[in-house]
Amino acid sequence: MIDPSMVPTLDPNPLPAPYWLFKLLLLVTFFLHIVAMNFMLGGAVLAVFARFTSKGKEFRNRIFLDLAKKIPVFLAATITIGIAPLLFVQAIYGQYFYTSTILIAWPWFLLLVLLVVAYYGFYYVAYNGKRRPGPAGIVLLVSLALVLIVGFIQSTNVTLMQNPTHWAAKYFASPTGWSNNLSDPTLIPRYLHFVTSAISVGGILLVLLALVRWDDDRDYASYLFQYGGKAFMYATMAQFIIGSWFLISIPRNFRMLFMGDNPLASALFIVGILGTVGAIFLMSDALRKQNIRMAAYGVSGILAVVILTMILMRDILRDAYLEPYFHPHQFAVKTQWAVLPVFLVLFLGGVGLWLLMLQRYGLFASKLPPSDLGPSIDAPAEPEPEVELVG
Amino acid sequence: MNYPIWDVSFGAGLLIALVAGLHVFVSHFAVGGGLFLVLTERKAIKNHDHALLNWLKSHTKFFVLLTVVYGAVSGVGIWFTIGLISPTATSNLIHIFVWGWAIEWVFFFLEITSALLYLSGWDKLSPKLHQWYGWIYFITAYASLVVINGIITFMLTPGSWIDVHKFWIGFFNPTYFPSLFFRTAICLALAGIYALITASVQKDKDLKARIVRWGALWTIPSLLALIPFGYWYIREIPAALFLSARGPMPTATHYAFLAWSLLAVTFVLMLLALFTPRRMHLAFALVIGLIALGAMDSFEFVREDVRKPFVIENYLYANSLYANTMPGDGGFTVDNLNTVGVLHSAAWIDQRTITPDNKVAVGHEIFRVECQACHTANAYRGVHQLLEQRQWDPATTRAMLSGLALMHNGVMPPFAGTDPERDALAAYLNSLQTITPNPATFTDGKLVYQNNCSMCHQDHPNEQFFSGIVTDPTAAADSLKDLTSLFPLMPDLKLNEAQRTALVHYINTLRPPAQHAANLPVEGGK
Repeated sequence: MIDPSMVPTLDPNPLPAPYWLFKLLLLVTFFLHIVAMNFMLGGAVLAVFARFTSKGKEFRNRIFLDLAKKIPVFLAATITIGIAPLLFVQAIYGQYFYTSTILIAWPWFLLLVLLVVAYYGFYYVAYNGKRRPGPAGIVLLVSLALVLIVGFIQSTNVTLMQNPTHWAAKYFASPTGWSNNLSDPTLIPRYLHFVTSAISVGGILLVLLALVRWDDDRDYASYLFQYGGKAFMYATMAQFIIGSWFLISIPRNFRMLFMGDNPLASALFIVGILGTVGAIFLMSDALRKQNIRMAAYGVSGILAVVILTMILMRDILRDAYLEPYFHPHQFAVKTQWAVLPVFLVLFLGGVGLWLLMLQRYGLFASKLPPSDLGPSIDAPAEPEPEVELVG
Repeated sequence: MNYPIWDVSFGAGLLIALVAGLHVFVSHFAVGGGLFLVLTERKAIKNHDHALLNWLKSHTKFFVLLTVVYGAVSGVGIWFTIGLISPTATSNLIHIFVWGWAIEWVFFFLEITSALLYLSGWDKLSPKLHQWYGWIYFITAYASLVVINGIITFMLTPGSWIDVHKFWIGFFNPTYFPSLFFRTAICLALAGIYALITASVQKDKDLKARIVRWGALWTIPSLLALIPFGYWYIREIPAALFLSARGPMPTATHYAFLAWSLLAVTFVLMLLALFTPRRMHLAFALVIGLIALGAMDSFEFVREDVRKPFVIENYLYANSLYANTMPGDGGFTVDNLNTVGVLHSAAWIDQRTITPDNKVAVGHEIFRVECQACHTANAYRGVHQLLEQRQWDPATTRAMLSGLALMHNGVMPPFAGTDPERDALAAYLNSLQTITPNPATFTDGKLVYQNNCSMCHQDHPNEQFFSGIVTDPTAAADSLKDLTSLFPLMPDLKLNEAQRTALVHYINTLRPPAQHAANLPVEGGK
């Protein structure tokens, strides 16, 4: 173990609200960010797959075009929502976060360059997918590759920030910001775990699109349902291999947290596993019975819970890694009562105005019954898809 | 020192300048352009101007693709970059202003949503509802400026926050309002300038002329408004900071001159555009845009340079050392480092003792943790060039390092560390030189002055410097033997006799005639 003094000291300013509030905001906004990211990334993977297997299959081309129009919006949501966890992680884990990003400074910096290029690529595909399917397919593939690299850089940073013992050797080998964390056995399985879950959620996105088209365009909707439902099932089944790999890769004492040592972690783990198995069976049943509502509401509902358990387990794992250095009671707390209520009021007002904006646009004016998923979770994804947010 | 230093060979400062310089040019457009969109839509509908409305649709697409994609990501980019280069400052700012940023995020979220709906709502929504989205966009975009402006101005003028540590005191700091008005005018000016770009590619010459005239109506008054707002802004900057930004290293003054000049050029070009609006060419529009970009970035450079040597004025130096000792400073203050030493305070260095063998290596590490936030060895603000230009040998470099805080009228933080550490830094700095300096051979008075005195003193007749040295050549040359006796904070520089004589001769040629007669005694002044 390194000299703990390598972990930077806190700055002199107290936390401007209790620790738990930052933790709560971090977890909630990260959850929303991950959902949006999963729609974007999973949608892009399935769009690429549909595009390159569309020869003679008109419906696959339609899937490609349908998804292409939504990806820029999901990317906008991913980035915009992502700012909040980026802010709150710095508020409580800044010492670890800044240090690890400095070790991988160039990739961390270039992440944004890749993101801009990918973003414009996605817009190009959204605008040109129909007229120029050839180049659009290539551009989509390139943009997908770029966001996959962005995700890998994020995984690298997260695995590095929770391992202060790895820092010194990397920094003193080269302070130029070109370090990597490939020597960490958890990095690859962790990354694949995230990407695969995005593909599962991408499958659900297609099921939700099928739900919207169910009454008007049954042939295409059935195809979407099959396509998305199967993508969900295959990706989720693959998760049993990748997830097990990830579980084996983490140090034994942390693994045992989820297998009895920590009751909460173990309960979350069980709920996560059971939910995943249940979701696969439910989807399989729904596909067989052509029951779109069972798939759209039931499976997405279970999936939302599963994602939540994963986010919580991820947090428990991080705090376990940082346990030798990080303790919430290290923070001096001085709540900024003069401004915190302003944020809370604006936040609630902002959510209200946001919903009003969507409602006045007609995004909720669907024939469908109101969804039982909270609209703040993935409202852009569900009842609205008839409206193209890209002009 | 508390955090590792990212070694950017071409200059960390340059990277921030690149990211921020392009971002501000888009983000201010994102604010002003929002108002432009909604007011132009209203105008076009009122005048039944279908051509204008059609152009506005394409202009909206240009606007959204530029601001929502590049503008938003590059804004996150600034945040990424400052976290990499100034993690201590970023961490402090986050803990002071996290709720400010959280509020800005709420506005940002609404801003992006309304922009996308405004773009996709053309031809789908009633004009009234469509404009409702436009107004929400503009108001939330402006609100995000209102918030971030508080944090940016805080860094330059934290004012009484330093004593009371209260959010709103730091937020509504002395330069908050002048900066807000100044930036608002920039936003409106840019709305007109960007309109020229999309207008220039229109085939309908009448339409083009209408847009150019309408754009000029936004830009020209806004440019004029920058003059009083700029003056107000300058007036609110503390005198000491403002003075330090002038003088022997007047980077801020140069940029201020550049900013006003480019602003004047932008103004003249906009007037020209107004005279020949039908002939607005894309190249011309881009030239106006580039010159405006130069003006705007020069202004941002002025703000950054005036703030030197601090990143948060009177609180945190650019090299992440706290200006004053306070609870929780982690020992990262100049006073503490002078006592304890860099090698026993900094976490991210490899060497803990100095030996004759590792002296240069230690010096390199000290350079990295203390100087590299602003300087590089050989590139942007390269120390190598500065040393060679002045022909400093190790003894001179070592002496000069003790006077860093006075150098260039106070744009540099003091050197912090023990004497052996200063020697090690000097050894490293001199190892960068590709020539072997031999300052003793320089006996031209002007050269001696430029190489050794001009960093702190100005050869201006009013400079205190002249009154601090007697006119009698022999006595004056003698008084220069021990510079610290002239002023305790002077570097203890040892000039040889020939140099002292030549220097006194040079000084006396510059001296105002009245002083020759007075033969002022040696006292006071630096």
